[in-house]
Amino acid sequence: MERGRLSPLGWAALILGALIMVAPLAWTLLLSLKDNAELVGNSGAALHGPYTAENYAAIFGNSSTLRWLLNSAIVALGTTLGVLIVASLAGYGFARLEFPFRRTLFVIVLLGLAVPSQAIILPQHQLFAWLHLHNSYPGLILPGLAGPFGVFFMTTYMRGIPRELDEAAMLDGASRWTIFWKVILPLTIPAQSTLAVFTFLGSWNDYWWPLISATHSDMYTLTVGLAAAQMNYAQTSGLGFLMAQAVFASIPIFIVYIVFQKQIVSAMAGTAVR
Amino acid sequence: MASLELSNVRKAYGDTLVLDDVSLTMEAKEFVAFLGPSGSGKSTLLRIIAGLETADAGEVRLAGERIDRKPPGERGVAMVFQHYALYPHMTVRENMAFGLRNARVPKHEIDARVAEAARVLEIESQLDKKPGQMSGGQRQRVAIGRAIVKHPKLFLLDEPLSNLDAALRMRTRVELAQIRQRVEAAFIMVTHDQAEAMTLADRIVVMNDRRIQQVGAPMEIYARPANTFVARFVGSPAMALAPATLAEGGGPFARVRLGSGAEVATRVRRDLLPANGALQIGLRPEMVSVAAPGAGTCDAEVVLLERLGERTLVYTRLPDGQEATAEDKGDSRLKVGDKVGLAIDGAAAHLFGPDGAGHHAEAAE
Amino acid sequence: MKGERDWRGLLFVAPFMLLYSLILVFPLLRGLWLSLNRVDLFGGGHFVGAANYVRLANDPVFATSLANTFEAALMIVPVLTILALLLALALNSAGRGAALIRGIFFSSAVLSVTIVTLIWRFVLAPDAGLLGEIWKSFGWEPLAFLSDPGLVLPAIAITTIWWSLGLPMLLFLAGLQQIPQDMYEAAALDNASRWRTFWRITVPSLRRTIVLVVMLQTAAQLQIFGQSQLMTGGGPSGASRTAVLFLFETAFGRWELGYASAAAEALFLIILAVTLSQYWLTGRQSAQGAR
Repeated sequence: MERGRLSPLGWAALILGALIMVAPLAWTLLLSLKDNAELVGNSGAALHGPYTAENYAAIFGNSSTLRWLLNSAIVALGTTLGVLIVASLAGYGFARLEFPFRRTLFVIVLLGLAVPSQAIILPQHQLFAWLHLHNSYPGLILPGLAGPFGVFFMTTYMRGIPRELDEAAMLDGASRWTIFWKVILPLTIPAQSTLAVFTFLGSWNDYWWPLISATHSDMYTLTVGLAAAQMNYAQTSGLGFLMAQAVFASIPIFIVYIVFQKQIVSAMAGTAVR
Repeated sequence: MASLELSNVRKAYGDTLVLDDVSLTMEAKEFVAFLGPSGSGKSTLLRIIAGLETADAGEVRLAGERIDRKPPGERGVAMVFQHYALYPHMTVRENMAFGLRNARVPKHEIDARVAEAARVLEIESQLDKKPGQMSGGQRQRVAIGRAIVKHPKLFLLDEPLSNLDAALRMRTRVELAQIRQRVEAAFIMVTHDQAEAMTLADRIVVMNDRRIQQVGAPMEIYARPANTFVARFVGSPAMALAPATLAEGGGPFARVRLGSGAEVATRVRRDLLPANGALQIGLRPEMVSVAAPGAGTCDAEVVLLERLGERTLVYTRLPDGQEATAEDKGDSRLKVGDKVGLAIDGAAAHLFGPDGAGHHAEAAE
Repeated sequence: MKGERDWRGLLFVAPFMLLYSLILVFPLLRGLWLSLNRVDLFGGGHFVGAANYVRLANDPVFATSLANTFEAALMIVPVLTILALLLALALNSAGRGAALIRGIFFSSAVLSVTIVTLIWRFVLAPDAGLLGEIWKSFGWEPLAFLSDPGLVLPAIAITTIWWSLGLPMLLFLAGLQQIPQDMYEAAALDNASRWRTFWRITVPSLRRTIVLVVMLQTAAQLQIFGQSQLMTGGGPSGASRTAVLFLFETAFGRWELGYASAAAEALFLIILAVTLSQYWLTGRQSAQGAR
């Protein structure tokens, strides 16, 4: 729908708004490029030179930020891969196969969509403590695999594939597994990429569960590490360095955003509007 | 040797009966059409033979072996779906090879069969394309190719001509007939189009209301329809049915009186008809010709004219409201509203009893 | 033969269902049970029935946290919805400029809560912040956003709005795309003014999306945690403590797991009640207003 007949005033307001949106990011960037000592008590120094890249150098020298990055990457990739596998299998089961209790089980999955994470966080914490899974990669990845959204999404998408294809494959002597692997799964690639990006974003940005489960500093993900760093920046590393960490933490996600823009947009808009 | 045998097949979805005690025997290499309107059960029957549905009762046998308990892939049956159901992400070659791969046929054999089928269907140049890049007619040939390579005992065709435009339909009809000659298999085609069934099938199974109405060669079905449903379903335009009562005279053959009072002498044996009850006379347009008013069996008014080129169909209404279709020459001068006389040739007329059963004219010696 | 095929379907859903039962369903039920017990760090608990809930109902700290949560949600959701709608309307064209600006407004939504709170802490902080610098350059005294009880919740609201614009804007854009062009053409032929077209055509067509956005955002903002914990620690003096922060502090600060579970269940119920009543209210309205 083309209704972009904005007046010049409208455009001016938009551009002003965009500048306001960007301002905090620019501010952060400027702060990150200043020497820490200069900024003490006088952050206004960020608005004029001299600028330096020493904080970024320090990040690469300081292993903990890189460690956080590694942890986030492992957890996010592991969760994404796990969700794709588990949700595809379950989606095929719900969409195509007849088995006892299928309807009941699916309703139970749907109901899970309404449960907020706080309602289960405490017992989850207990459970993982009992299983000795805290402060471990599996401990950080597993909760993500139990999310009902992926299954709901894949089931809905697979239901949209014409059943005739299954029938043709049955007449071609294909087993249920072969139909899944060779016929249905290849046809879900758009949904897979959308779900992958969606899951990756959610996992990478997750603060809540890693905060509770990764209490040892070497298991911190980027979100938790950054949160811990900002608690006592003045004593430890200085404002410039802290901001450099924030910029550094943003770069991977911005890269993913730019590369996968289409998937992100379709993931967020398509799934909510349903 | 019988090829396909259906015995007392019955199917219901919940409380709705879909197939009611259907039995049928087919010969090897026979081309049978399941003809009927939607809801008649013909598609369900096809799917039961294919293995995509299970019958609640009854048996299906192919070449003597019972197949209704086997999975679809192991029945020796191949199906061409109405919308082709080609795998969109595979090339034509892969589409055709898929079934053979699943059956663990050796690679060289697969390649040979695919090449042969592609040659027969003239799709050799398409082998490395995907279905999305092809036209509807080409896709259908791929679907047929996919079925051919499996060397099945029985081909199932689900409304093969419905999706095609008129020109393509003619071509495909010819192609199907040609394929039929080259292949050692029986064919079953499901269609709602009686012209398709008439032209392609050795025998037609007319179905309606979950049951088989009649089984027979096309001309037999056309000339000797078993009941009023078959009579009206087969033949275009449809046979006209008019209420009639038995009249005196005519010797061994029935003579009937129409609503308008006109009488028609038929060649239907009087003693085969039910003793009392309302009769209907069935007349195809070719039995009714146009004459001057008063010069025919009865008079009528022209309601509609269909000029087909080689003949004109004249739709008329009799004084008592009854409708009748007559045939006139291609360059007929009639107009809507004209009064005409209808000359009814009763020698070929059919009579239908109160139960709908058909009684037909005896052939003249 | 059919029986075999039947049960094999379960194999496909089994991995997920096992994980789901273990990590979602079981904790859900256990959480309920926990809330009826007095449990501490060492796991020893004894059944106390509804005592936790009674205590919760009389707890001024919890009450304040709930009030804060609702206040924040009320500050955020209407503004967010209206802004997102205006942006979607303004940016609903195919030009590259519009695409660029859309991208800018959406970019904040991909950041994590810790990055966002970090950025905004140093925008809002009076002595080290961007706003402070701007104020000072005008000669004004910078506002102590994060330490003034009256300003703390608005500060969180502003941060959250900046962060959350992207998704609602996207939803509205998608909704606008679905409005059939011929409605606007008919309106143009009927000589409708832009204002009229907006109110009589655009807004009603977007009804479902508006309701969806409001429902999703309300549920989300009732669960605010990171902004509260990281920007102000819930302070000053609990002025910005949200319900989830209360939960967090009770559970992982004081290790009163039973009491915290009760708070979690209570919050769950509240969110459910709010969402359902929103759904029901808007459903009735559309039934009455149906053409």
